[in-house]
Amino acid sequence: MARFLQQRQDYENATARSYQSEIGARNELARGEDPVAARAKIVAERGKRQSLRSDIDGQTRNTALLVGAGLIAGLTGAALLFSGLISSMRRPLEELVGASGRLASGDLNARVRVGGLSETAALGAAFNEMADELQRQSGERDRLDRMKDEFVLTASHELRSPLTSVQGFAELLMLEREQLTTKQAETVEVIIDNTRHLVRLLNDLLDLARSDAGRLTIKPVPTDAAALVEDAVRTMRGQTEASKQTLSEEVEGSLPAVLVDPDRIRQVLVNLLTNAHEYCPERASIRVAGRLEGTEVEISVKDDGPGIPPVQLEHIFERFTRGDAGLTQRVGGTGLGLAISKSLVELHGGTIGAESALGEGSTFYVRLPTAAS
Amino acid sequence: MAKLLVADDSETILLLLRTRLELEGYEVETAADGQEVMDAIHAGAGGASPDLLLLDAMMPRKSGIEALRELRAEGVETPALIVSAHQDAGDAELDVSGYVTKPIDFERLFAQIAELTTR
Repeated sequence: MARFLQQRQDYENATARSYQSEIGARNELARGEDPVAARAKIVAERGKRQSLRSDIDGQTRNTALLVGAGLIAGLTGAALLFSGLISSMRRPLEELVGASGRLASGDLNARVRVGGLSETAALGAAFNEMADELQRQSGERDRLDRMKDEFVLTASHELRSPLTSVQGFAELLMLEREQLTTKQAETVEVIIDNTRHLVRLLNDLLDLARSDAGRLTIKPVPTDAAALVEDAVRTMRGQTEASKQTLSEEVEGSLPAVLVDPDRIRQVLVNLLTNAHEYCPERASIRVAGRLEGTEVEISVKDDGPGIPPVQLEHIFERFTRGDAGLTQRVGGTGLGLAISKSLVELHGGTIGAESALGEGSTFYVRLPTAAS
Repeated sequence: MAKLLVADDSETILLLLRTRLELEGYEVETAADGQEVMDAIHAGAGGASPDLLLLDAMMPRKSGIEALRELRAEGVETPALIVSAHQDAGDAELDVSGYVTKPIDFERLFAQIAELTTR
């Protein structure tokens, strides 16, 4: 560039000198001194200037070409450099994005290859370190979860055998009630009541632990709804009779079979009946009904007890939500029964609900899919 | 009256089951584990075989589930109820007539037994 400017300067100086000598020649001509030589000089100077101009134009063009070529070469180089830089960053980054996605969706084995630029390599190493730590923590958590589940299952099993004996022998004593004194019979009843409560606690805790671990499983088979109701009612008959409550069933004839795990739905029905029994006073009436409701079979438990205040009804299926505190003093529940019932019914693809009016009673219902639907 | 073979590793539970079932009028034979169940079945193959098996799912030496699996493999088709602490002790592959959970609801158990033995 500097050379180009120098050439330009030289050209301008040379042109100026040429004009000066032409002017000198014209003056000589005007003065009439040697007109032939003067004319020849003028022509020579013009020719010289023309040649100078054509030289400088060529040089200008060359310089422009040179500058243009330089610019293009520079840009191309920069582009190449950038694309190299970008591609050397893109692959590791893409890999990181992919691995993060897999990690987030639960694949704790997701790792990236560490390499390339030092920055992406550091990022990759940090990612792998994080994934290692996550995997370690998750493994530890799984191990603790398994230990907890194992403990709950073992404890529940170990407690069940002695409870079976206590409850069984107490019931055996009650079979010969007429041979016991009133005080003895009352004592045995206390034992039976409390054993039953312990059993419920145990069952609820076990179900809760399973539900939390996502291991509450069902084995649905086509089941006769009327038989389910009858089974649950038979289980509750003794307790409702002891409280002089009326327990009646009213199941529509020819109900279609429901697709349920009979033990689990029986558990739900017994839970609803137990609640009705415990929250209702003596001589209350409890009615179990079964009917077809669209493509579902609805089984409802209706009582004429004290009813549930709207504020409590709203949260009745949540854990540890229980009826009126005044009542809970003599009610043996765990506050888990309805929450577990809800989980179980929903696991079947069914629904559970409740309606209540204070002073008039409550109705709890479950709707279950039929085997045909 | 129907004859039942009852197996449990707890003597107390066996006593309870025997007492309640005999009060209901059943003839009761007992076994302390799955191996004793197999022995009793093999010994009685001549004709005194039970009408129903009531087997605890978990027993030392041989569990009720294992014993039943082996008996089914031998072609023994006696209906069987499995008694277990958990509701999920079941085995989908096994030919079981029903499950009984501990603590035992005797009214329900009697209904199950009556249904299986009067068929």
